[in-house]
Amino acid sequence: MECEEIKQLIEVKNVTIEGGKQNLRNVSFNLCLGEDVVFFGAEDSGIDHICPLLAHALEDYSGEVLYKEQHIKHMDFVEVHNFRKIFGYVQRGYALISNMTVYENIALPLRYHTDLSEKEIHELVDSLIVYLHLSHCRDLRPVMLTQSEMLRTAFARAIALDPDMLLIEHPLEGQCLWNAQIFLQALQNRAFAPNKTVIVVTYQPLVYIDIATRFIMLHEGSIVFDGTKEEFQTFQNEYVKQFVDVLPYGPMTLR
Amino acid sequence: MVQIIKKNIFIIVQKVDGIIKGIADFNAYMKAIVRSFRSLRYLKIRSLYTIAVNQTRFTGIDALPLVSWIALLLGATVIIQATTNFPKYGIESFIGNLLVIIIARELGPLVTALIVVARSGSAIAAEIATQTQNREILSLELMGIDTRMYIILPRIVASFAAIFTLIIIFDVIAFFGGYLIALTSVYIPMGTFTQTLLDAFTFNDLLVTITKSIIYGVLIPLICCYYGLKPKSSFEIPIFVSKAVIRTLLIIFIINAVISVLFYF
Repeated sequence: MECEEIKQLIEVKNVTIEGGKQNLRNVSFNLCLGEDVVFFGAEDSGIDHICPLLAHALEDYSGEVLYKEQHIKHMDFVEVHNFRKIFGYVQRGYALISNMTVYENIALPLRYHTDLSEKEIHELVDSLIVYLHLSHCRDLRPVMLTQSEMLRTAFARAIALDPDMLLIEHPLEGQCLWNAQIFLQALQNRAFAPNKTVIVVTYQPLVYIDIATRFIMLHEGSIVFDGTKEEFQTFQNEYVKQFVDVLPYGPMTLR
Repeated sequence: MVQIIKKNIFIIVQKVDGIIKGIADFNAYMKAIVRSFRSLRYLKIRSLYTIAVNQTRFTGIDALPLVSWIALLLGATVIIQATTNFPKYGIESFIGNLLVIIIARELGPLVTALIVVARSGSAIAAEIATQTQNREILSLELMGIDTRMYIILPRIVASFAAIFTLIIIFDVIAFFGGYLIALTSVYIPMGTFTQTLLDAFTFNDLLVTITKSIIYGVLIPLICCYYGLKPKSSFEIPIFVSKAVIRTLLIIFIINAVISVLFYF
């Protein structure tokens, strides 16, 4: 899909990753500012490489990942530092800092990256805590939190700097969907905000049908479907149909 | 016989190769830390404050009772031995010199460093290893936080401050606490005891204490963080924590000997 030039955020060109259990084979796509994309596919389809690739957390690949026409692999130390401020990242398993409270976890990027006073940080963090219904566990450490509270804390930490792009890996893994409603509502608000890009990597694309504008499916390291929400919902693509309907027979073989 | 020799040579070659690779890897780690100094301009002191304060409290204040007891017992042992045996050889006037040589120059810094390695070094290595396994370190990096500066720098500052203070406290308690315990077996006037200590102290002794504090304060967190960042899976955590403690201890003994040779030989 083409973006207006001014709105292009990241371009991935012919990226190949080989040698591991999950590979990418000649993968190319554009991400535009304001676009909300769901990457999905089966285990070992290569989707788990997407967020690390976009976040410059992978080095060993061929091809290009361009941010503002600059190859992120060739960024120097300072450029990487500045690049990482444009996105928020919710990792699989959430990776909250275990010796910090919910408040401290959310305040961490603000304390490190901004010149805000402690009073301003306090106000900002408190507003996020209220927004994500975390007031009751404000001073608890991650070990004391439920799965949904951890997810909401990780989400609050990722949006604390109000980044242009949000990368989220398997957010609903091990989650009770009823408890995850607050997160899904906040994610939808984020996705609908102008010029904010949300990238979700998941095994459950249907959960994000009201959030995403574009769906990309990977199979054995290659893109087998890249289309709009409407195209996705028709289930015309045989890979999408097999995956969403959980069919044992089709172009994909169960391993 | 030839087979056994070949096997032993092979084992030695493997060990040497392992040591060379280890040194090269540590060298790369040090270079990465030096490169990270470029991020100092982005570093907000307030984000390191909590880590530095917690580390100073754990390494310094929490270790104080243990350091005090060991200083007291060691001081008493040395003083009792000196005051009971030196008169037999007619060298009781050298008691002050002996105390300065044994306690201030060697035992104070060495025992303090051993306590810090055993308590804080192992804790640093275990904490960082667990955080690495839980992908917390990766999470910091993805937030644009320079983990080398964020994790290692405050621990070095805290360790130096704590070790320097603990060495001074160790020496004072070893001298005067030991003196009080020794009074139960032999009588030495306080004035004479203090004067012999002051006469025996030189500027070099102070310099050695500061030098050792700086070197131990830097090396202990540096080596322990290095091993803390190493584990690739959970079962490797105890292996690398053990390595962190043992290798730091070994290096401290070597450095202690080297400093003594440089300053006093």
